Amino acid sequence: MNKLLKNTKDRKIKKEKYRPGEKNSLTDVKGVKVGQFSLQKDIQDKSGRQAFVRTGLTAVLPYPMDREMRLFLGCSRVNGKDEITGYEVLDDFCYLNSPIVITNSFNVGRVYNAILSYGFSLGRVEIWPPFVIGIDDSYLNDLRMGFLEEQDILKAFHEATETKVEEGSVGIGLGLRAYSWKGGVGTSSRVISFGFGRFTIGALAASNHGHELSLTEEKSASRENQTRSGSLTVILGVDLPLVPYQIRQITSSLVACLPLMGMASSRSDSINCVLFTTANAMSMEEDGPEVFDYQLLDDSLLEEIILAGSEAVREAIFRSLAKATPVGGRLGRMLETIPEKELHNLFQDFKGRVAE
Amino acid sequence: MLSDRQSENISAPRKRIRELGIRLGTMEPGLHNAITDVEGVRVGHATIIKGEGQGATRTGLTVILPHAGDIYQENLFASYFNLNGWGEMTGIAPLVTTGKLQTPIFLTGTYNVGIVYDAATEYFLKNHPNLAGSDEIVHPVVAECFDDFLSDTQSRQISEEDVFRALEKAQSGPVEEGVVGGGTGMTSFGFKGGIGTSSRKVGTKYTVGVLVMANTGSREEFRIDGVPVGKEIRGFEYKSGKTKSIILVAATDAPLLPFQLKKIAKRVALGLAQTGAISHTGSGDLIMAFSTANKIPKSRSHPYLKIKCVSDFWITPIYQAAVEATHEAVVNAITTARTIIGRDGNTAYGLPLGQVKDIMRKYLRIRAGNHE
Repeated sequence: MNKLLKNTKDRKIKKEKYRPGEKNSLTDVKGVKVGQFSLQKDIQDKSGRQAFVRTGLTAVLPYPMDREMRLFLGCSRVNGKDEITGYEVLDDFCYLNSPIVITNSFNVGRVYNAILSYGFSLGRVEIWPPFVIGIDDSYLNDLRMGFLEEQDILKAFHEATETKVEEGSVGIGLGLRAYSWKGGVGTSSRVISFGFGRFTIGALAASNHGHELSLTEEKSASRENQTRSGSLTVILGVDLPLVPYQIRQITSSLVACLPLMGMASSRSDSINCVLFTTANAMSMEEDGPEVFDYQLLDDSLLEEIILAGSEAVREAIFRSLAKATPVGGRLGRMLETIPEKELHNLFQDFKGRVAE
Repeated sequence: MLSDRQSENISAPRKRIRELGIRLGTMEPGLHNAITDVEGVRVGHATIIKGEGQGATRTGLTVILPHAGDIYQENLFASYFNLNGWGEMTGIAPLVTTGKLQTPIFLTGTYNVGIVYDAATEYFLKNHPNLAGSDEIVHPVVAECFDDFLSDTQSRQISEEDVFRALEKAQSGPVEEGVVGGGTGMTSFGFKGGIGTSSRKVGTKYTVGVLVMANTGSREEFRIDGVPVGKEIRGFEYKSGKTKSIILVAATDAPLLPFQLKKIAKRVALGLAQTGAISHTGSGDLIMAFSTANKIPKSRSHPYLKIKCVSDFWITPIYQAAVEATHEAVVNAITTARTIIGRDGNTAYGLPLGQVKDIMRKYLRIRAGNHE
């Protein structure tokens, strides 16, 4: 490593400033629930070929889904290769009206449809647009066979809880791969104390990125690692009253923070960073009021939210790897849990709180 | 040589489209049918007309002060839409990131931008010695159109004094239109263009006002209320070269957040389309929208500010107002602009209003017996 690189590495942010919330989970943000469904089966397809299904979904329910309500939402993307439904409304109206679901690309339509079924069954007039992020888990998962059934998707919604999010090879995390090791789902949160109150920012990460950056020579040499592009998806929730331009400032800063926090990604990775706020919520009962009253947080406080958010994001990604259990899948492939030493190397000696 | 008809036109009084008995859209304009109908908005011009023939200057500056107070001290939510990016509007990156307009809006000729930017910075520093700390970088919004046909643009005959003069003269009430301020050297749709403005009332609650600096469009495109006026008009031909750019500014007192103001800016583009403009590749068609309802103090003692915001569910009438006011503002910029002879004797004719009336009557836009 040349000197410049070394210095850069040394300068990466290691120290933490903020404390995690009670559960160190996205669900520390009041009212936020997470539900997951994992689909794992070994079956034969029509031609008698063995198929390995390793997929699922991870659903974030940011508010009670039986209420006609909208939350402000923003998103920053790099290399937008993944499907995000509801993106046009997000881009133009900046609101969220549905659960946020991460699933694999081939299940997007089914999940989209199930969100509508779910909303209608709760008596919602408008649970639109469904917000579904589709990512590629085909390294381990046989996409052609791994379709989710509506009852499985609904089960994840119905069983969503405010307890600590289950992490690792679960939900959409089951088939994921990151840094050539087993990827998965991870979560973390941080408490931000201002003079006027305590607030929580929570993150949930689905790590499926960094394929080019295997840390062992043997792995990085494989062609698979060179050609496959990955993605990192991060969903954040916060209970501070933000408005859309502020949310976008935070998400774009968080994306820019990733390398500073030691989370190198491949050149071709897609990054999806989504943030919603549970404050400044819009009640749309009977089409809502003509004028909403919001609170506008002083822009000078955004810095703190970005810093706390970046800590939560780093730890969520860290945990998604640390908690991932080994999974074997398609083509006899096997992904092991990242060795502890390599994990800490990757995160610049950041230790995380995996034991907690 | 000018024909009789053309000579007559040069001295004919200029009028706004409504003064010709033509009503665009269905909503009512505000008191002055101008951007200044949005309470607090002020407009000032500095018009520079110097010399004849070679080296003649026909340029100037129009400034919009977005509210009655000090925009540097109290910012407004704003957004912007880039319909066609072959133009300049400075200050946009910070405006979009912070969601806020923090300076007056300056409209001028292309090559004047540096001088106006510098003067705007000087004006800010002079008037706000305490706001000039390192945390208080101010990015003036300066937008341009290319007034090269009528003006010797390369000589950049605008000065700091002109900028200060426009700022000092800025006022509410009726807005001077046509060959004035930044519009002095502009041409549009094959006729003399310039500054135009219009407004619409949204029920009894809100007003939307639009001001444009029009320098865009080809003659055959020009439409008023759907009528192909540009195709129907006879005479007054001139080789204008290319017309370039239009800057459109929408103001409203409806409480809107930046993401909603972006949607307003897009509707302004639809209003522009109603004039037949197709946004040429060389036309910098840039749109800004701001709301005067929520004033965001620069220095705040409290971490929260209570703000208001119209629900998207109820916002459509505001869109309609933006479309109608834009259509009329662009048309006003042309109907109010008189014939100008500029650099090297280049002449841009004022739209012949007598013909316009005849054409609009032919297309049943002026009813028989409906006199001005």
